[in-house]
Amino acid sequence: MSKMVEIRDVDLIYHEMQGETLALRGLSMDVAQGEFVSVVGPSGCGKTSMLSMLAGLLQPSGGTLWVGDSSPGYMLQRDHLLDWRTIEGNILLGLEVKRICSREKRAYALSLLEKYGLYEFKDAYPRQLSGGMRQKVALIRTLACSPSLLLLDEPFSALDFQTRVRLANEVYDIIRREEKTAILVTHDISEAISMSDRVIVFSGRPAAVKAEHRLQLKESTPLRRRSEDGFKEYFDTIWKELDNEENR
Amino acid sequence: MKKIDNTGQSEQHSAFLRAQARKTRLIHLMRYLLLALFLLAWEMAACVGWIDPFIVSSPSRVAATIGRLYQNGELFLHIGVTLFETVVGFLIGTLLGTLLAMLLWWSRTLSRILDPYLVVLNALPKIALGPILIVWFGAGVKSIIVMALLISTIVTVMSVLAGFMEITDEKQLLMRTLGASKWQILRMVVLPASVPTFMSALKISVGMSWVGVIVGEYLVSRAGLGYLIVYGGQVFKLDLVMASIVVLCALAAIMYYGVAYLEKRFAHWRAHA
Repeated sequence: MSKMVEIRDVDLIYHEMQGETLALRGLSMDVAQGEFVSVVGPSGCGKTSMLSMLAGLLQPSGGTLWVGDSSPGYMLQRDHLLDWRTIEGNILLGLEVKRICSREKRAYALSLLEKYGLYEFKDAYPRQLSGGMRQKVALIRTLACSPSLLLLDEPFSALDFQTRVRLANEVYDIIRREEKTAILVTHDISEAISMSDRVIVFSGRPAAVKAEHRLQLKESTPLRRRSEDGFKEYFDTIWKELDNEENR
Repeated sequence: MKKIDNTGQSEQHSAFLRAQARKTRLIHLMRYLLLALFLLAWEMAACVGWIDPFIVSSPSRVAATIGRLYQNGELFLHIGVTLFETVVGFLIGTLLGTLLAMLLWWSRTLSRILDPYLVVLNALPKIALGPILIVWFGAGVKSIIVMALLISTIVTVMSVLAGFMEITDEKQLLMRTLGASKWQILRMVVLPASVPTFMSALKISVGMSWVGVIVGEYLVSRAGLGYLIVYGGQVFKLDLVMASIVVLCALAAIMYYGVAYLEKRFAHWRAHA
């Protein structure tokens, strides 16, 4: 399988008036095309910084970074839909910004809305939608630009538990169906195990890869995985690894 | 989010609605009553001789003065002059203030450099600059407009910039992940998101323009409501002063409600956000 992301010995230093912070030290990891990888780690360990680097928003202070998609899709914790734009206007935002809003791209974006059950809200405003629906619109806004790599930065953490689980299931389905590569950053171990092919555990700051688990689960949907036998074992292992990091 | 169906409302709910409507009517009634009582008391006091109508005028004398001004055609001349100065000062001031705020938002460095100057300019009573303006722009309409413009520009810069800064970094981050340029962030997120702030800035700025114009007219001018007030004071025609103030009140209120109406129309999405 060909590579989508290659991170080699990457350091990241933040400079502030109070001093410098080493956020990442000697981080190395790969992500293959079509793979769904989750990254878990103690809070503030530099998971988001890694995504920002992959998105090209931050430059590494050392090491090399290679991403197979020049403009990966990015999904944030909050949907940040623009209140004054309709749902259609919101999903076309990326295309407008990139000045590639052709008739075909527009039709593609609308077809995504239709495929994932939001077409009837095309002319509605974000305030008329529930939190889960809004986050789904945010995903479609990201997909409309046809990225091959998706960077998900705790996209479900602002939602209530039920919505979170249900939406994770749907988003997983969408990402699989659209054949995207995805990197999910989360602090929710269950979410990571239920959605991914592989879970990478980061150490505390400065972050590096502490452990890696290639998941061998039979079920394929996040919802069913949650009740699978192996799920609990993975959960306990990763929990312990994180616990050690937090109390270090 | 769902609208409650009004057709199937309970008896209790109808009673609640009726009570609310009654209360609103009462409030309106009290408003008019208060004004009527005030005018009546003022007129009576002047009539009976408790107060000297020569010094405090009276509603009937004010009305008579407005009538006379209307008949000899002066009323609309003065209103026109003042209104023109205010609207021009207000529009240019708002435009200039918004452009400056955009510039300061654009360059954090420039904003940091200019910060102390803005603070001083904001703190300075702009009226103190009156004599300088008269020397520079002449004793006439130009000076008055510049005065109004100066005052409204500075409040606009301050409040609009504060609104721009309120827009979360995360919204801008989202735009950057989509590959947006700074200009696109300004045009597609910052400006539209600031419409509500901009509208409330307009309300402040319209009031400030009135201050600028009236003060300007106090200093220089041969026409306008501010001129009438000063002139009336100088020749001890308090009827004229009071009449001008009444007209001014009405105009300022109309303009304020005009802006408030615009605000309501443009800021509708914020109410639900």
